Amino acid sequence: MSDQTVTLTIDGVEVTVPTGTPVIQAAERAGSVVPHYCYHPGIPSRPAQCRMCLVEIEGQPKLQPSCVMVAQDGMIVHTQSEQALDARRSVIEFLLLNHPLDCPICDAAGQCMLQDYAYETGQLSSRYAEPKLVLGRDRIADDILYFADRCIICTRCVRFMEDIAGDNSLVVAQRGHKAYIDTFPGKELDHAFRGNIVDVCPVGALVHEDFVFKARAWDMDTAPGICSGCSQGCNIDVNVKENQVVRVKPRFNADVNGYWMCDEGRRHLVMVNRGLRLDVPMIRRGDDLEAVTWSEAMEWIATAAPWGGGGTAIVDPRLSNETLFALRGLLDAMGIAGGGYRMPRGEEVSLAGLPMLKLREERAPNGAGAELFGFSEIEELPDIESGQALVVAGDRLLDAAPHYGTQAGFYVYLGTHLTDAARCASAILPLAGAGESDGSFVNFDGLVQRFHQAMQPPGVSRPGWMAINRLLRQVDADRPPVRDVVAAFDAMAAGTPDLKGMTWRGLGLKGAPVRAARTATGA
Amino acid sequence: MTKKIHPAVVSAQPFQVANLRPIDRLFEDEEGKDRLEKAVSRYPDKRAALLPMLAYAQERNGWVSPDSMEQVAEALELTPAFVRSVATFYTMYNKHPTGRHMIQVCTCVACHLCGGDDVFQAFLQATGTRAGETSDDGRYMVMEAECLGACGFATAVQINDQYFENVTPETVGDVLASLEEEGE
Amino acid sequence: MGYPHSHELEVGTILSRHFGDESARRLETWQEYGGYEALRAAVKMDATEITGIVKDSGLRGRGGAGFPTGLKWSFMPQEPNGPHYLCCNADESEPGAFKDREILRWVPHLLIEGCLIAARAIRAEHVYIYVRGEYFPYTRILNDAVVEAYEAGYIGADILGSGWDCELTVHIGAGAYIAGEETGLMSSLVGGRAEPRVKPPFPAQSGVFGRPTTVNNVETLAAVPMILTEGAEWYRQWGTERSPGTKLWCCSGHLERPGTYELPLGVPLRDIIYDVCGGIPGGRKLKAVIPGGSSTALLTADELDCASTYEGMQEAGSSLGTASPIVMDEDTNIVRAIRRTAEFYAHESCGQCIQCREGTAWVAKILHRIETGGGRLADIDTLYDLCEQLTGRTICVLADSVVFPLRSSLDKFRADYEALIGGRP
Repeated sequence: MSDQTVTLTIDGVEVTVPTGTPVIQAAERAGSVVPHYCYHPGIPSRPAQCRMCLVEIEGQPKLQPSCVMVAQDGMIVHTQSEQALDARRSVIEFLLLNHPLDCPICDAAGQCMLQDYAYETGQLSSRYAEPKLVLGRDRIADDILYFADRCIICTRCVRFMEDIAGDNSLVVAQRGHKAYIDTFPGKELDHAFRGNIVDVCPVGALVHEDFVFKARAWDMDTAPGICSGCSQGCNIDVNVKENQVVRVKPRFNADVNGYWMCDEGRRHLVMVNRGLRLDVPMIRRGDDLEAVTWSEAMEWIATAAPWGGGGTAIVDPRLSNETLFALRGLLDAMGIAGGGYRMPRGEEVSLAGLPMLKLREERAPNGAGAELFGFSEIEELPDIESGQALVVAGDRLLDAAPHYGTQAGFYVYLGTHLTDAARCASAILPLAGAGESDGSFVNFDGLVQRFHQAMQPPGVSRPGWMAINRLLRQVDADRPPVRDVVAAFDAMAAGTPDLKGMTWRGLGLKGAPVRAARTATGA
Repeated sequence: MTKKIHPAVVSAQPFQVANLRPIDRLFEDEEGKDRLEKAVSRYPDKRAALLPMLAYAQERNGWVSPDSMEQVAEALELTPAFVRSVATFYTMYNKHPTGRHMIQVCTCVACHLCGGDDVFQAFLQATGTRAGETSDDGRYMVMEAECLGACGFATAVQINDQYFENVTPETVGDVLASLEEEGE
Repeated sequence: MGYPHSHELEVGTILSRHFGDESARRLETWQEYGGYEALRAAVKMDATEITGIVKDSGLRGRGGAGFPTGLKWSFMPQEPNGPHYLCCNADESEPGAFKDREILRWVPHLLIEGCLIAARAIRAEHVYIYVRGEYFPYTRILNDAVVEAYEAGYIGADILGSGWDCELTVHIGAGAYIAGEETGLMSSLVGGRAEPRVKPPFPAQSGVFGRPTTVNNVETLAAVPMILTEGAEWYRQWGTERSPGTKLWCCSGHLERPGTYELPLGVPLRDIIYDVCGGIPGGRKLKAVIPGGSSTALLTADELDCASTYEGMQEAGSSLGTASPIVMDEDTNIVRAIRRTAEFYAHESCGQCIQCREGTAWVAKILHRIETGGGRLADIDTLYDLCEQLTGRTICVLADSVVFPLRSSLDKFRADYEALIGGRP
């Protein structure tokens, strides 16, 4: 026992926790997950109103809500006592009283805390013989629907908006069993982080309109990723069905994004890969671009490139560290120093209740990575001198003149989409897009974070680092092969002073700060 | 008709009144400004003036419209949604215009035992209205009320800011007549 | 019916002495009656002394819970590091209760004086009197008295030259029974939905505006001035050791003389109903009485010989509550009366806790179905089970409150339920 910690017994397991820890968190440490609704570890307010987390505490005459009951020294807690179980079962019974039998058409099915606890408590039949109250459905935001009948009034959504977003636009209207969640009439919710209310909703009352009826929980595969919408580096889970992104959700990271992400980020991954994709390497033969195999493309480039002859390079802050490192290797071999990237920018949006998380002005995930490998930000596309070599990787050149690059003597384009300017290239290599390969980014704060492949890239497109390393081996057969992202990352870390000591495996899903960032002041 | 209100009681003004003084902008005339300022001065946090200001809106206009909610929100630096959440919690804030005379008949258990339901029906008949609907001439709206706190004098009826006690179906007519006398 | 009545059992001394006397509302007359003498004494005493006297008197909260008042005051910090607040709970909305309105409308200055003395005892500098919205006629009377008191220097800066400042604000609600719950009142007062909060934090630690707060009922505060001037022992001449003093009994339902009577605690309930209130009109028999306002268990005709004290009513299987008996005669449809009672709770539920939000409405619906002939015997089992599920599980006791009349009606009038159900399983 000390001033800083307390020791208590939960379901027979002794556990020591910091002073001030609520029993529900102490219970988790002891291995007992107490069912709950209104409590959310990322939302500071704790109304203790759902009554789901009631536990028995020896010496207390009534069951106590474990989300607000502070753990005390010597407390003996029973989360599975007969009383506690009965209270829990009873809460489920009351919740299901007027709850519509929507499971067959509700998106939450399979990932619903009401379903889960109904099974857990065994409350599977109803003795309710009265007509159910029907409240209906409402559009609560441009892209979020609210099914009032499914709502359990846990107020997580209201409190996320109030506590974290600092926007009191979502409220409980009416009282008693007629209560429901609403905005002010005529004013839909339009906050940049509103999508999080769908994540916190324990049931299917709040749903994203662009996810409704798209996929069942059990039909989706999930890969842990890093959002590529801005430089915040929010950790995400990418939900994929039949090789399509159907949903993006935030993944908890205490140091980067907490439990949240912004709406632009949610949409980003779905939108960024749209359009006609480059899915096969191409070589220019006369006026036409001809599809070729990777081998042919590698051979042609190895022969035709003016190695050591200098030139211009344009890269992109959406490329991974591994790809940018490999590009640096390619450009060194071509005698091209420096190289620029254009950073898309937008308005920064903060969260009143969570200063560390913002939708960052830099709307790309890896500007810091580009800087790390010697690239610098440019405002405009550089002029290309006649006969010069040009390497463009990632940048779609959407705003470039249609003949941009035609005057180059040798022009390699690596990317995901074949835009008009990219058509002028001598050789085109198809890259895997966002979510289609493994790799890492460096966020605004200098944190190196891993992301994982969620989908198969189209056709024979490949991660940039894989394609470039293959090309470099074409030129120099003695180079060691880089067969997977582990090798790519480890080679990159070994060859970059600021990443010294890092390994892919060692990085894990938590990430690690770039060495320079560790000694830098400010973000 | 504006009288000087002592700040100590500015948050305790009747807001169910027969004679309305409708106004568009609640806090731009002298009276509104005075009410707001006095109310806010009674609490360390201006949010506490919310119920008194909603009451003022209804005192003037007979109901609390969405526009009133927005004005109150602005005056107290709250969101309109929050004001709506509070306004819809309480039964006495009318969300729609009502009849001039809001007739609330207690049918809670004590009055219920003493014939409250019959008194309620008698009022509906005498005013020719259905529960919760305004009469065609705009004079009356009849509703059931929960306990009005006059249980020993059943049946209790509240009409705007007055209490009528010991009302029976036979005396309903007299009650309505007394409303007319007070000058329309 | 001729109100107010008087009866030999009555004590017209403390609270009700001036009931029926309109002139008592005016400060001039009130002062002639000895008003504000207690306040004059109190401003010369320190907080601990005042609290000590009230503690010794044994005065218990009259809002229904019966918590010892002096003890409650002593929970407030002895050394304030910021404002303290007193809230006077005049949100009287319990079905059957109409005692606080009598105090407001006949002796508002008595209440004001009691509030100020209490404020001094808890080292407060602002009193909020939260009156239920519906009480417009009585609020008007209170308002006039408050203004008079301000003008006479009993409220405000440097009260009676003592150097102590205390403000008073009358603040009215807008129709919510749950605003009469201590934390519900505080949530409403600060400008919000009247939603009760979990305790801890307790009001004395953090109440309105995050500051130490005490909430007291009107009747409790109205007793304080005379306790101060006459003394704790004097107050204890009535009542019992554990339930000293007098109580306003507000009696309703099927009675010859319903109304409010100030009686010493301890008078047998039977005497209150039959002697003081004259029994049931037409000489009909009593079927049941809900003795303490609707949130108490009902008692039958042979259970009336209990003492009207906190302990006596508890022993009888009910509780004193607000001392607001609702009397039902032999022709009463008990199921219907309980149904209407359950509907009250369903209507007033704030909606936070699922048991109350759904449970009270469910109870009302089952009772309605039984009343209208659609009931089944299984419904009785369900109702009993719901009594268990609604007890001890929620933030406040509104859910627990519906259980008292419901369960006692099932226990004592099961035959009435079964008659309506007609044997359907």
